[in-house]
Amino acid sequence: MQHIKSQMLDRELKEGSAELLILSLVEDQPRHGYDLSKLIEARSEGVLKFRVASLYPLLYRLEKRGWIQGRWIEKAGQRRRRYYRLTPAGEQVLKSQRNTWREFAEAINRVAGVEST
Amino acid sequence: MPWQDLPEEVAQHLQDLYDDLRARGASDEEARREVAAELSACGLREESESAPAAIFGDDARRSARASGGGAPLALIEAANFSHSPFADVGGDLRYACRALRRYPGFAAVVILTLALGIGANAAIFSVVNAVLLRPLPYDRDGRLVAVWGNLHKPGLEEIPGSAAEFVDYKARNRVFDAIAAHDTAGVNLTGFEQPERVPGAVTTASLFSMLGESPALGRSFVAADEQPGRNHVVIVSHSLWQRRLGGDPHVVGRTMAVDGTNVEIVGVMRAGFAFPDDVTELWQPLAFTAEDVSEDQRGSHSYTIIGRLKPGATVSHARAEMKTLGEQMGAEHRNVYRAGFSASVRPLHEELVGNVGPALFVLLAGVGVVLVIACANVANLLLARATARQKEMAIRAALGAGRMRIVGQLLTESVLLGLCGGALGLLLAVWGVHGLVALAPPSIPRLNEIGVDGRVVSLTSLVSMLTGVLFGLVPALHASRHDVHETLKDGTRTSADGGTRGRVRRALVISEVALSLVLLIAAGLLINSFARVQDVHPGFNPDHVLTARLALPPSTYTTLEQGHGFVADLFARLAEAHGVVAAAAINAVPFSGRGGDRSFFVEGRPVAPGEPSPDEQVRFATAGYFTAMQIPLVRGREFTAHDVDAALHVAVVNEAFARKYWPAPSSVEGPNESPLGKRVQFQQETTNRYEIVGVVGNVKHRALDVTEKPELYVPIFQPLFEGFRMPPMDLVVRTASDPVLFAPALREIVTALDRDQPISDVRTLEQRIGQSLASRRFNMLLLGLFAALALVLAAVGIYGVVAYTVTERTHEIGVRLALGAQPRDVLAMLVGQGMTLAAAGAAIGIVIAVALTRVMAGLLFGISPTDPATFGVITGVLALVALVACYLPARRATGVNPVTALRNE
Repeated sequence: MQHIKSQMLDRELKEGSAELLILSLVEDQPRHGYDLSKLIEARSEGVLKFRVASLYPLLYRLEKRGWIQGRWIEKAGQRRRRYYRLTPAGEQVLKSQRNTWREFAEAINRVAGVEST
Repeated sequence: MPWQDLPEEVAQHLQDLYDDLRARGASDEEARREVAAELSACGLREESESAPAAIFGDDARRSARASGGGAPLALIEAANFSHSPFADVGGDLRYACRALRRYPGFAAVVILTLALGIGANAAIFSVVNAVLLRPLPYDRDGRLVAVWGNLHKPGLEEIPGSAAEFVDYKARNRVFDAIAAHDTAGVNLTGFEQPERVPGAVTTASLFSMLGESPALGRSFVAADEQPGRNHVVIVSHSLWQRRLGGDPHVVGRTMAVDGTNVEIVGVMRAGFAFPDDVTELWQPLAFTAEDVSEDQRGSHSYTIIGRLKPGATVSHARAEMKTLGEQMGAEHRNVYRAGFSASVRPLHEELVGNVGPALFVLLAGVGVVLVIACANVANLLLARATARQKEMAIRAALGAGRMRIVGQLLTESVLLGLCGGALGLLLAVWGVHGLVALAPPSIPRLNEIGVDGRVVSLTSLVSMLTGVLFGLVPALHASRHDVHETLKDGTRTSADGGTRGRVRRALVISEVALSLVLLIAAGLLINSFARVQDVHPGFNPDHVLTARLALPPSTYTTLEQGHGFVADLFARLAEAHGVVAAAAINAVPFSGRGGDRSFFVEGRPVAPGEPSPDEQVRFATAGYFTAMQIPLVRGREFTAHDVDAALHVAVVNEAFARKYWPAPSSVEGPNESPLGKRVQFQQETTNRYEIVGVVGNVKHRALDVTEKPELYVPIFQPLFEGFRMPPMDLVVRTASDPVLFAPALREIVTALDRDQPISDVRTLEQRIGQSLASRRFNMLLLGLFAALALVLAAVGIYGVVAYTVTERTHEIGVRLALGAQPRDVLAMLVGQGMTLAAAGAAIGIVIAVALTRVMAGLLFGISPTDPATFGVITGVLALVALVACYLPARRATGVNPVTALRNE
C-alpha cells in the first residue's frame, strides 16, 4: 500500500510540475510550442528539457481541461503557428498549483534540511 | 480540442528546431540528425513506461485512438517532410515492424495466408527445379546425348541400339569424344544368408569416365574388362556395399557370387551415384562377343547408347551427323533394315525428364494461381485496414509526407509481410517437399535430388518480395490518395458501396472466385478422370493374385529343359500349398512394365522384299496362365502341360490380334474370321510354326488408360529357335486369402527347390495396378489440394467483403430495420450482393476454364476438357460455399439493434 501511494505521489508530482511550468510560461503572453520548449530549456539552464512527444500531449491535455486555449495565428511571411494563452480557469489553477508547489517545496526543504545538517 | 491539429503543430516545431540549429551554425546534416533524435525520442517514449510517458499518460493515447489515428507518436517518427530528408529504409522497416506489432491478429492472418501460397509454390518449384531445371549431376555442361535408332516403322522410330550398331557408331562418328552403351540387367546375388535379386546394369568401360565419375573405392572399368572371359569384375553401389558387404573398406579384390558366377569387386561408387536409374546397385562390364556384333544380331536392339559431344559440337551437329551415319548403315545392311534406318540424338536431360514436364507445369500453374488468390485476399485485407488507417495516413500527409513516401512506407509494410510469409512458407515447403517425395510416383525421375536448395530459396525470396509489392501496391495507392481535410473531419463515413476502394475490393473478390473456379474445374476434371480410369476393367481379375519375379541364372540353368524341370517342381509344390487356387508364369505380367514385341510372319502371307514384317507384342506363358489370371477364353483352348517342345507348337492370340489379322469381311456385319488353325512363324525360313489354338480376351498391359494392343502368346517351353533359354518370369499365384500373406511361403518354396534362387519384385496385381495410377493420383491429389486451398481463400474473400459491408452499413441497416424492414429482407439484400460477386466471378471463371483446360487434355481420361457435368457440379459446389460465406456475416446484420446502430451515429 505504502509503495503504491508513493508511486502515485511521484507521478502526480511530475505531472503537476510539468503543468505548472507550462501554465507559468503562458501567464504573461501567448506562446507557441517550440517557444515553450526553448524557454523551459533556457530558464532551467538545460536541466529540464521537453521533447515533442511530451510537450504536445501535455498542451492538449491542459487545453482540454480548459486551463489554456490554443489559437492558430498567422504572421506575415511565416507559417501559421498555434499560440496558447492562459484562461481564467487556468489562472485559478496556476495560483493554486503555485501554492501547492511552494508548500511542497518548503516541506521538502525542511525535511531535507534537517537530514542534511 | 482538435487532436488532428497535432501533426501540423509538431511539423512546425521540428521545422523551427531545424531552422534554429542552422541559424546557430549547425550544418544541414547535424541539424537533421538533431531533428531525427527528437523524433526517435518520441518512439522511445511510446514504447516504454518511462517517466515522460507517465507525464503525458493515457490521455493522449485515448484521444489518439478516438480520432482513429493509431498511435500518434510513432506516426510522427515515421512521417517525413515533403522534401523527404529523413527517409531511410531502416526507419521504414522499424516503423513497419511496429505497425505490424500493433495489429498482431491482422499480421498473423496475412502471414499465414501468404505462407500457404508461397510455401506451396516453393514446394512445387523444388520439384520442378530438381527434376526439370537442374542439370544432371553427371552432365553439368549438357554435353551428354542419347542416340536412338529409327527403323522407319510405326512405333519403331526411336529404338535402342544393337551391339553391332554401337561398334559402328563408335568407329565412324566425328561428333562424340566418348560413347557408351548400357543396359539394365538384374542379377541374383548369392552366397549370403538369403539370395537376393538386385537391380543392376551392364555397361561399356567408357561409361563412368564419360559421366565424370570414378569409384570412391577401387577402380573404374578398363578396356580389358570388355574382353569376353575377362569380364568377371563388378562395381557395386554405396548402398549395396553397406547393406551386403558390411561397408568393408578392404572390399576391393573380394569376390562375390553374381548369377552363380564368382566375380571380383573392383570398385564401390560414391553414395548418391545413380545411373541409369535410382535403384541400380551393381554394374558389370559389357563384353560383346563375336556373336553379339554379328550380322545376325544386328537387329537385336537392347542397348541404350549415350555419347558425349566434343567441345564445340552442338546437338544439331550431332543430329545431322548421326542421321547420315545411320542412313549409311541402313544402306549397307538392307537385309536387316528392310524399311531403312537412320539415327537421331536427344539431350540426355530431355530424355530423362521429357514426359513429366507437362504435368509438373500444370501443377506449377495451379499453385501459382493459389498464390495469386492469396495475394488478392491479402490485398483485400489491406484495403479494409486502409480504411481504419485513413486518419493515420492523413496525419502523415499533413506532416508533409509526400504521396510517394506514404506509398513507399506502405509497400515496405507489405513487402515485410510478404517476406515473413515467405520465410514461414519456406519452412512449410521444406516439410511439404518431404510429403511430395513420399507421395510422388516412381515415374518422376531424380526424386532423390528433390530438396529446397539455394535456387529455391532465392526464387522464394524474390516471389515473396514481388508478392508484397503485388498485393500492397493497390491498397497503398488508394491509401495515399486521400484528401487530408476531408478525412480529418470527424464523422466522415465511407460507404461500403461507394468509392473506388469498394470497387477494387469487389473486383478482387470476383477475380478470386474466377481463379479458384478454374482450379476447381481442373481438379474436378482430374478427379473425374481418375475415377473413370479406376473403373476400367483390366481384362483379368487382379483380386487375390500375388506376383513375383523369378530369374533362373543361365549359368546354373543352362538349358530350357533344366528351367522346365525347376518350374514343373515349383508348380507341383505350389499346387499342394495351402491356400493356392492357381499358379502359372509368364515372361511379362501385366502392369510390370515389362514385355516387348517381335516380328513374325503369318503362314500364307509372304512379306514382299522391302516391306516390313508384322510386329506385335509376344509373350511366353506357362500352362494355366489364362485360368490363373482369369483372362476369359473366347475360343479354342489355353496352354496345357502337354504344350512342350516335342508336341505340336501352338499359340494363343488375344481378340485385338485376331481382329487385326483376320478381320470380318468389310461388307458383312458379324464375327471375324476364326484365327483357329492358322499358323505363325518367327523366322521367314523355318519349319517351326505355331498353330493358333485359342483366342483370349484383351488385357490392359501397361496402364488402364491405354487401348489394348494385339498380343500373341507362346508356350514358354516351345522354343522359338535353337538355343532359346528360359527368360526371367513373373510367377502368378492366385490365393484364397490375402495374397500378401502368401509371399513368405512362396519364397520358402522357391528356396527349398534351390537354396540360391531368389525371387524379387513381390507384389500383388492390385498393387501393380495401383502403382500404374500413381502419377495420376499424384497430379489429382496435388491439384485437388490447391483447388481446395483456393476455394477456402475465395470463401474467406467473400466472407470478408460481406462482413465488411455489414460493419460499414450497420447504421443504414439500423435505419432500415427501424423503418420496418424484416430481418430476412436485410439478409436477402446482403447475401444477394455477395452472391452477385460470386456469380460474376463464376461466369468469368467458366470462360477462362473453357479456354485453359484444353492444355491438360493429355492428363484426362474418358472425359472432355469442357465436360459439362464437371463444370456444372463444380460451379454448384462453389456457389454453395459462396452462399455460406455470404450468409454467416449477413446473419449478424439481422441482429443489429436499430437503437444502438442509430445512437452510434
